Amino acid sequence: MRRLVVALGVVAIGAAVALPGAMGGSTATPGVTAKIVSIGGTFPFSGPASSYAPIPVGMQAYFSYVNAKKTNGKRGVFGRQIKFNAVDDGYNPALTVQKTKQLVEQDHVFALVGGLGTEPQEAVTAYANQQKVPQIYVSTGATEWGARDKHEEHPWTVGWQPDYQAEAAIYGRYIAKNLPNAKIGIIYQNDSYGRDYINGLEAGLGSHKSQIASQQGFEVTDTSVTNQVIALRRAGVDTLMIFGTPTPTIRTYATMAAVGWKPQNIFLNSVSATDTFMGIAVARAGAAEVNGSISTYYTKDPANPSWANDAGMKLYKSIMAKYAPANAKVTDGLYIYGMAKAYTFVQALKAAGPNPTRAGLMKAVLNMNDKSNPFLLPGVVTKTGKTDFFPISQQQLIRFNNGTWSPMGQLTDTRPRG
Amino acid sequence: MSPFGANRILWRVLALAAVPLLVVFLPKAFNDYFNYRLAFVGIYFIAIVGLNVLTGYNGQISLGHGAFMAIGAYTTAILNVNYGVGIYWTIPVAGILTGAFGFLFGLPALRLSGVYLALATFSLATSIPLVAKRFEGFTGGGQGKTIALPSSPIGGLSTNEWLSYLTWAIAGLMFGVAWLVLRGQLGRAFRAVRDAPIAAVSSGVSLARYKTLAFGIAAAYAGVAGALLAIAIAFVNPDTFPVSLSILLLTGAVVGGLGSLEGMLFGAVFIQFAPSWAEHLSEHLHYNEATVQSTVFYGLILLAVLFLMPGGAAGLIHQLGNGLKRLRKWRYSRADSRATA
Repeated sequence: MRRLVVALGVVAIGAAVALPGAMGGSTATPGVTAKIVSIGGTFPFSGPASSYAPIPVGMQAYFSYVNAKKTNGKRGVFGRQIKFNAVDDGYNPALTVQKTKQLVEQDHVFALVGGLGTEPQEAVTAYANQQKVPQIYVSTGATEWGARDKHEEHPWTVGWQPDYQAEAAIYGRYIAKNLPNAKIGIIYQNDSYGRDYINGLEAGLGSHKSQIASQQGFEVTDTSVTNQVIALRRAGVDTLMIFGTPTPTIRTYATMAAVGWKPQNIFLNSVSATDTFMGIAVARAGAAEVNGSISTYYTKDPANPSWANDAGMKLYKSIMAKYAPANAKVTDGLYIYGMAKAYTFVQALKAAGPNPTRAGLMKAVLNMNDKSNPFLLPGVVTKTGKTDFFPISQQQLIRFNNGTWSPMGQLTDTRPRG
Repeated sequence: MSPFGANRILWRVLALAAVPLLVVFLPKAFNDYFNYRLAFVGIYFIAIVGLNVLTGYNGQISLGHGAFMAIGAYTTAILNVNYGVGIYWTIPVAGILTGAFGFLFGLPALRLSGVYLALATFSLATSIPLVAKRFEGFTGGGQGKTIALPSSPIGGLSTNEWLSYLTWAIAGLMFGVAWLVLRGQLGRAFRAVRDAPIAAVSSGVSLARYKTLAFGIAAAYAGVAGALLAIAIAFVNPDTFPVSLSILLLTGAVVGGLGSLEGMLFGAVFIQFAPSWAEHLSEHLHYNEATVQSTVFYGLILLAVLFLMPGGAAGLIHQLGNGLKRLRKWRYSRADSRATA
C-alpha cells in the first residue's frame, strides 16, 4: 500500500514537472523551420470515398520531386523540405475533426492543404478559421468554398478546382446554344452536391430552363436507380444530365443499358468522368451506351495518348515513375489532379517569400496569377483576386469515345462570378 | 478476515481513488491535444458501460449502438442549432430521449435473441443515418449540422482540458449509477435473465420488463455519449455514425471484458488508441500504403488481445489475481511441507 501511495506521489510530481515543459517550445510560425515546412491534410484512405485516395499520393509525389530538385543551389522551397502529412479520416467527420486538431495542435503544421470531401472539410472550417490556420485548396468543388459571402465567414479557407455550379452552367450554356430544342432530364444525387449542379445548370440554361422535363433524385446510399431511369425515359427525355458521384453514375449507365435506353445526349459531371471510372462504366454498360457522353476537364488527361509529347505530361509521368508507389495507375486522372494542386501550393509557398507566415501564405493564395502549371490544360490560369476566390475557373468541354476524351471547342471561362 | 483480505479492500478503494486522480492530473501531464483524445476515451467509456449493461449483464447483443449515439448527437445538434437550447442542457435530454427510443426498440426486439437480435440491431445501425439524411430541414440532411465550437467556460482551462474534464465528470457519474444499479436487485434480475431465463420467470422476474429496461439503460448511456461527441466535434452528419462505429463499440466492450464495468476503461482506451498504435506500427515498418497495412495491424492487435486475454482486460486482471493467490498458497504449502519435513 505504501508503494502505491509513493507511486501516486511520483505521478503527481511528474505531472507538475511535465506541465511547463509541455507548454514551451513555440516558434514564430508553426510548422516552419530553417529546413522544413510541415503541412497536412485529411483524406479518405479508407471508407466509402477511398477511391479518391490517389489525390494525396499525387500531391506527395510532386512534393518529393520539389524536395529533391535544386533551385538556386538549394533543394525544396527556399531550402526547406515540404513535409506533407496526409492522414486518413475515412470520410468520417468525427475523425476529420480529431485528426485535423492533431495536425494543428500536436504536429503544428503550417497549413492544411488539399483536405478532401465537402462535409468533412465543412466540419473543420470553423476550427481552422478560429485558429487562423490556412485551410487551402480543399479537394471539393462545392460552390461555398469560393462564394463571396462565404469568404467573409471563412477568410482562411479556399478551394481550388472549378466549382460544381460553374461546371453545370457550362453544360447549360452549351445546351441553350447547340441543342435549343432539347428535352432535358436530370438524375441527381439528392444532397447539396447534386443541387449545386442543378442550380448551375438552370443558371446556364437561362430562358431554356423550362425545357427541363423531369428531375429524378437518388440518395447516395441507394443501391438502385432503376425507378429514376425509367421515369426519365417515360418523360421522353433526349438530353440526360447525370449529376452524381462515381458509383451511382456508373450504376446509372449500367441501368440504362439494362433497360435498353440511350438518350441522344448524355452529360456527366467531371468528378465521375475520370479514366478509371469511365473504364468501369464501359465494362458494366458497354461502350455503345457510354460513347458520346459529354463532360468537362481542366487538367491534362493522362489517359489520352494525344498528350504523349507534351512537356507537362512527360514531367508528370517521370515524377510518377520516380516518386509514386509502384502500383499507382498513371492514367488515373486523380493523380494528376493531386499533382496539379501540389504545384499550385508550391507556387503559393514561393510567393509567400523566404520567411513565410500563415497570413503571408493566405495573401499569396488570394492574390495569385499563375499561368505556368504544366499539369493543367494550356491556357488555364490559376487566378484569384479581391472578389474572386475560385483559383481555377476555366474548363474545357470534352466528349468520350472508345476509351478516351477529346476536347470540343475552346476553353470556357466562368469568370466573373457574382 | 485475514490481513490479506483487508488489504484487498484497501487496494480496491485506492485503485478507484486513483482514477479520478489520474483524470485530474493526466491532462496536465501531456500536451494539450492529448486531453482531446482523453475526452474521446471518456465518450467511448460511457457508451460501452451502457453496452455492457445490455450485452455483458443482460446477455443481449447490440450491433447498433452507434445508432443510439447518433440519436443522442442529433438531439444535441437539433436542440442547440434549431431551438437555441444551451448546449450542456441538451446532454440529459439526449440521454432521456435516446433511452426512451431504446426502450421502445426493446419491445419488438423481445421476440429475438442471439444472432437474430444482433441482426435487428445491426439494421438500426444502417438505417438511422439514412433517416437522418431524409428529413433535411430538420436534421440538416447529408450536409449535417454545424454546432458552435466548444470553449471552456472556466478561465485557465483550455478547450481540450475542459472537454476532458466535462466528459470524465459525466463518465464518473454514469459509471457510479451503473455500478449501483447492477449491484442491487435490478442487476440480479438482469443476470438471472441472462443466465437462466426459465428460472428467472419462475421466480417472478418478468423477462419483457428487464430486457426492455436493459435496452433503455444502454441506449440512454449511448445517447449521452453521442451528445458529448456532438459537442466535442461541433458537427454531426450521417457519415459521423458509420456502421463501423457500432462494431467498434462492441469490440471495445469485448476487449474490456463483458460483465465487468471497470474493464470498460481499458476497452475505451483500446477503441481510441489502438487504430493509431496500428498506424505507428505500420509506419515504423515502412510500408508504402500505410493505411491498408494499419488496418491489418489493427486486426492483428485485436486478435492478439483476444487470444491473450479471452475474458478481456477484466478477465486478465481476474486471472492475474487468481494466479497470485495460487502462488501464495503454493509458497505457504511449501513452507508447511518444509516445516513438517
